[in-house]
Formats: sequence, C-alpha cells, structure tokens
Amino acid sequence: MARARIRVWDLPTRIFHWTLALLALFSFTTGKVGGGWMAWHLGSGYAILALLLFRLAWGVVGSTTARFTHFLRGPRAAVAYGRTLLATRRSSHFGHNPLGGLMVLSMLAGFLLQAVTGLFSDDEISTQGPLAAKVSDALVSRMSALHSYNEWVLAALVGFHVMAIAIYAGAFRASLVGPMVVGWRAIDAGDAVPSYRAAPAWRAAIVLAFAAGFVYWLVVVFPRG
Amino acid sequence: MKKVAIALFACAVVAAAAQQVKPESQIKYRRGAYEVMNLSMSHLGAMAEEKKPFNPEEAQRYADIIAMVSTIPRENFGEGTDKDTKAKPEIWTKRAEFDRKMDKMVAEAGKLPAAARSGDMGSFKKQVSDVGSACKSCHDEFRAK
Repeated sequence: MARARIRVWDLPTRIFHWTLALLALFSFTTGKVGGGWMAWHLGSGYAILALLLFRLAWGVVGSTTARFTHFLRGPRAAVAYGRTLLATRRSSHFGHNPLGGLMVLSMLAGFLLQAVTGLFSDDEISTQGPLAAKVSDALVSRMSALHSYNEWVLAALVGFHVMAIAIYAGAFRASLVGPMVVGWRAIDAGDAVPSYRAAPAWRAAIVLAFAAGFVYWLVVVFPRG
Repeated sequence: MKKVAIALFACAVVAAAAQQVKPESQIKYRRGAYEVMNLSMSHLGAMAEEKKPFNPEEAQRYADIIAMVSTIPRENFGEGTDKDTKAKPEIWTKRAEFDRKMDKMVAEAGKLPAAARSGDMGSFKKQVSDVGSACKSCHDEFRAK
C-alpha cells in the first residue's frame, strides 16, 4: 500500500526542541561542575530564556501544530485520550496529543521557572544572576533555593518525557522521535490528511529576534542602569 | 626556666580558651569567614571572567585574604554548632568526608596567591575556578538551601 507523508512539525519548532534539549543538558552539567563553567551556565540560561519566550510566541503565531489552541486540552480530554490509547494500543494523533500537550505545558513552565529564578540567584561563591543585585537578599535566597529544588523537578519531567517516548515506541509502535527530527510522518493511504497551515520562516526569525533582544536587554542593559 | 614555664602556661591557657569558644561564637566566626571569602571570590571571579579588567594588586590582595581566611571555618564546626545554621547534620555524621572537602578547599585557596602573582592569566583563571569548584562540592553536600 502506498504511504503518504504528512507535515507534523515546522522547522522552528524542531530547532527549538533540539536546541532546548542540548542547552538543558549543558546547563545541568555546567551547574554541577561549577567554577569557571558558571559563566557558561549563565550564558546557556539566557539562551534558554530566549528560546522559551520564542516558543510561547510561536504557540500563538506559529504553524498549526505549534499553536497552544491546537494542543492544550483539559484534564478530561487527557484521561479520555489515555483510555483510548490503552484500549486500542494505537496512537495516530496529529501533533501533540492531549497528554503530550500537558507535558509540553509542564516543561515550558518548569524551564521558565528555572530560567527566571536563575536571574535572581546567588551561589554565594562568586556567581550572581544578573538581577540579583536589584532585589533584597531575602528574595535572592528564596530564588536560589527554588532554582536548586526545581532542578530536580525538571530532571523528573525530562525523565518522564523520555520514558513516554520509549513507551510509545515499544507498546504503541509510534515513533515520536523521527517526526521531531524530519518534520513529517507517514500515514496509510486512505487516512484523512489533517489540515495544516505552515507559518512563514521570516515570522519565526522576527519572533526569535525580539525574544533574543529582550533577553539581551534584561541581562545586559537593564542591570547596568 | 621560669620564663619557659610561664610561656608554656600561657600557651596552655590560650589553647584551652580556643577549645572553649562557645558555639554561637564559632558560628559567627565561620560565617564571617565565608562572607569574606564569598565577596573576595566575587572580585576574583569578575576578573577571571573578564567582566572587569585584571588588576594585579587587587587580585593579589583578594587572593591573600582568601588563602588566609580559608583556614578559619574548619575549627569552627565544633559540638553544639549545628543549631540556627545552614550547616547540615551530615557534617557531624560524615565528619571524615566533610574534613576531606574542607582540606581540599583550603589547599586550593592556598594556591591562589601564587596564581595571582604568576602574571599568567590562564593559571589565574584555572585556580579561581578550582577554588570555586571546591567550595561548591562541599556546599552541595553539606549546606542546606
């Protein structure tokens, strides 16, 4: 039977995903090693913050499957989806399924919390976040603690995310990694082709430029003033 | 002979007094030492990261301060100093491990003055980094958030 391809993820969403994955790993490692790597840890955090702001905006103006309105469903939809998944043992959802949507939301919120608390943190060795000098020591202390604890929340979320992908590959015969790399996946002939509107690349470039510009202002220009 | 006896007696008194520093004072003493090291390290860190220009006199002064002050905390984690502090109880239950990390920090801090005087930016940066890592490895295990 002839197999057709459908577009699932646009290039900006894929680049966002893999860059975030690499930078998260890099941030975790440099944060653990400390010392001279802390400058890299901060730089990586700024890049992650810009990426997250980009992704939030892309969730509004991006391609069909990147939009929040496409994949954010309530808990009831997530439960219903989970039941169907277990009953049919087959997943052919277009874009993020209702459970995956919750995972995306949790990870975006978790990474955003990590990036923002980092801005106000102080390791009490020789590294301060760029906004630590702008607020009280009590707040810095709380932010630093939150930055430390949330690290393990993020590790758990990432572990859960990777485990879910392994389960989809093993139990439901669905490769989620492939489409996130190449952007498309195969469907059986006769399956309905979902409607998909691609957002233009220039829009992604503009959104990213704004996100990066804002972060630059926040961590370089504003602290000087 | 009499002088020696007096000197010995004086030493004994000083030693006894040192052992009897009350817990609150020990906590104050080590905290003060950590604050001094933290703020001095921030200056060295800024120079190592080239956030501010390398100033040899300043670098040497802070390096000397850190090397000197780094020896203070070790003897100020005595009995009864585990209250109202971020110091974790593990310091007293895993004392050998704590002491090993403390010695490592003191050893790395002890190399700072030479690195600051070497005139070699590479070894200065490396030593600042090594001191920072030594601080961190102990904080991660023995200091509460």
